[in-house]
Amino acid sequence: MSDTLGENTLTTSPPEGRSAGGDGATKAPSPARKRGAGGADWAKRLEITLLAGPAVIMFLAFVIFPVVMAAYYGFFKWKGFGPPTDFVGLQNYITIFQDEKFQDALMHNGFILVMSLVIQGPAAVALALLLNQRMRGRSLVRVLIFVPYVISEVIVGTGWGLMLKTTGAVNHFLIRIGLPDWTVEWLSDPKIAIWTLMVIISWKYIGFAVILFLAGLQSIPEELYEAAAIDGASYWQMQRSITLPLLGPTIRIWAFLSIIGSLQLFDLVFIIWGQYVATTAGTSTMATYMVGEGRLAGNYGYGNAVAVVLFVISLTIALIYQRFVLRRDTAGALTEGKK
Amino acid sequence: MRAHKLLGATAAVAALALGLTACGGSDDPDSTGGGGSSGGDVTLTFWHNSTTGPGKEYWDRMASEFTAANPGIKVSVQAIQNEDMDGKLQTALNSGDAPDVFMARGGGKLADIVEAGQVLDITDLIDDDVKAGVGPAFDAFSVDGKVYGMPTAILPGGMYYSKDLFEQAGISSLPTNFDELGDAVSKLKGIDVAPIALGGKAAWPAAHWYYFFALRSCSKEVMENLPGTKDFSDPCWLAAANALNDFAKTEPFNEGFLTTEAQGSAGSSAGMLANHLAGMELMGAWNPGVIADLTPDKKPLADLGWFPFPAVDGGQGDPAAMMGGVDGYSCSAKAPKEACGKFLNFFMSKENQEAYAEAFVTLPANQEAQGVITDPALQDVLATYNKAPYVSVWLDTLLGQNVGNALNAGVVEMLAGSGSPEGVVKSVTDALAKE
Repeated sequence: MSDTLGENTLTTSPPEGRSAGGDGATKAPSPARKRGAGGADWAKRLEITLLAGPAVIMFLAFVIFPVVMAAYYGFFKWKGFGPPTDFVGLQNYITIFQDEKFQDALMHNGFILVMSLVIQGPAAVALALLLNQRMRGRSLVRVLIFVPYVISEVIVGTGWGLMLKTTGAVNHFLIRIGLPDWTVEWLSDPKIAIWTLMVIISWKYIGFAVILFLAGLQSIPEELYEAAAIDGASYWQMQRSITLPLLGPTIRIWAFLSIIGSLQLFDLVFIIWGQYVATTAGTSTMATYMVGEGRLAGNYGYGNAVAVVLFVISLTIALIYQRFVLRRDTAGALTEGKK
Repeated sequence: MRAHKLLGATAAVAALALGLTACGGSDDPDSTGGGGSSGGDVTLTFWHNSTTGPGKEYWDRMASEFTAANPGIKVSVQAIQNEDMDGKLQTALNSGDAPDVFMARGGGKLADIVEAGQVLDITDLIDDDVKAGVGPAFDAFSVDGKVYGMPTAILPGGMYYSKDLFEQAGISSLPTNFDELGDAVSKLKGIDVAPIALGGKAAWPAAHWYYFFALRSCSKEVMENLPGTKDFSDPCWLAAANALNDFAKTEPFNEGFLTTEAQGSAGSSAGMLANHLAGMELMGAWNPGVIADLTPDKKPLADLGWFPFPAVDGGQGDPAAMMGGVDGYSCSAKAPKEACGKFLNFFMSKENQEAYAEAFVTLPANQEAQGVITDPALQDVLATYNKAPYVSVWLDTLLGQNVGNALNAGVVEMLAGSGSPEGVVKSVTDALAKE
């Protein structure tokens, strides 16, 4: 297990590992260019085209093209039969932002985003620190924490949905142990449902954060702790001054993934609540709104407009995050590329 | 057919596999003979939604018997999971690769496809004896006086109930108005079962309650004008929402009905009826078949009975009016015309419709085949249906996908306590803005 974690480390950018790789990359091409062999250059381009070409074509066909088409369809009132003809300009976009259900969904996404960071981040760091200690059954606990992440969303949603419904196992259990007053509508009470969702999300995705952080921890050189120990630093001082700063890049990457995941959350909500109850229980997201108003209500033009809004929101947040938060982590890589 | 929602999520994997095979199989030379000359070999591609059991066998048998009777016309059958049907059909219609014959439920949804010029006008293709046998059920598939689909089943709604539980609870006569229904509800609560099962998660079972309140509250004229005008300004629509809201406040539905499925498991609303956990359920005529699948021994529920939706105080609707759906099949605009017409007429014969009724445990559209109905609950539905002064189609089907969907959502919001009776009517106007 620890071997695999060690390998992962390389991709999650430990500082010294990255600079080493960067140096190698900058050194390699320069001699080739000096030789001025046009043939070699040409061969290299052919190689790049051949190897990257299929991926680029797939990317254009299955990512860029649909985005462009969605933007196009978003300007029409279109029920999805035949080519769209009823051009309405920005009307769909105006309707979206006037629709209270969309505003609600946006709020829910924001709540999920913030709570995911607040709940999962510290908990995962703590768990990772704990599991980084030498202790009995460590591998087993690591696996157990990671298992929910591996199970498909459909199964997780169906299972939790069955357990948490009013007549489900959780309420049944509470009655059996003599706490009938504690039974609540876990899924349909608007005051509770979004917290239920947060518990399920945390349960499902915390393992992913823990594994990332464990990988990050492995890359912190042992010598730093030894030196700190010689200097007389306490355990907490070591964590604060060595672990957290050096784990920073990993945490920031995890937060980025978590933010994007929160903005695009769909499957868990849709499976557990369904389109209608998600709205009344206050767990709807932009993605469930999109599917409900587009595909299920048959307003394909409108649904495409929602997809564009969701895309733009996600892209904007991603760019801002990269610009201001990830800049420290990517700064080195970018300058090296320009050399 | 809604009955097949019972396959639900459990069959998602199977549906995926089916979807894949369906894609692979689409290279059939389906509409190559577009002109429809019956001389050469023609293959009809045919989509229905019975992925298992007697329903699937029925369609496979129809296809092979039809080819035997009409050499030169092959039928390539594809069974598609009910929940996948709409999306797949839409994609197929858009890409010009539509199946020649496909399942349809009429109403606004069909009208949208007709408007896009994707469905064949079959008015002149229907045999005279089929026309006579089916009668008014063609209305659901008619747009501007032309027929665009062949109805195979009529599925009127009403209250299904357990005779045993009613007896246990001491309910001596079937409720005919809401005072009596309220009385029955409290008596059923007395014997500790859920009075009325409701699978609200999918919204349409909850919305059916609103439709029936509207059917009783609104006059015949208002109901008849609805598909053309989509106008909810008549006060009867709000009155119906208020009546449902008041009724819901007496807590007649099973605990946690908002997160209850309608079909598919013992915990679903149909399952509650099948296992004597609930006294009654408002459903369409597919329900006896659905319930039969969910009883402990997988046999029809012996004590299942039926009564019409009760009358509403001060309502302008005829208490004998009914509401229901019609299942049927349409030909795509590019289908070989004559072959398609022949196939539709073929499975509408008396014998084939009798087999249909038995395979699907439901009411066949051809009235001559209705003699085979043996299920007592279905017999009661049929008798009431044949006497009904007028029949409305489910409002979500009638209004089309967009408005119908919004109406369903509005009803669920009201029942969940996050909306209001006014909100039900408003949801329709909001949806029209997106259409």
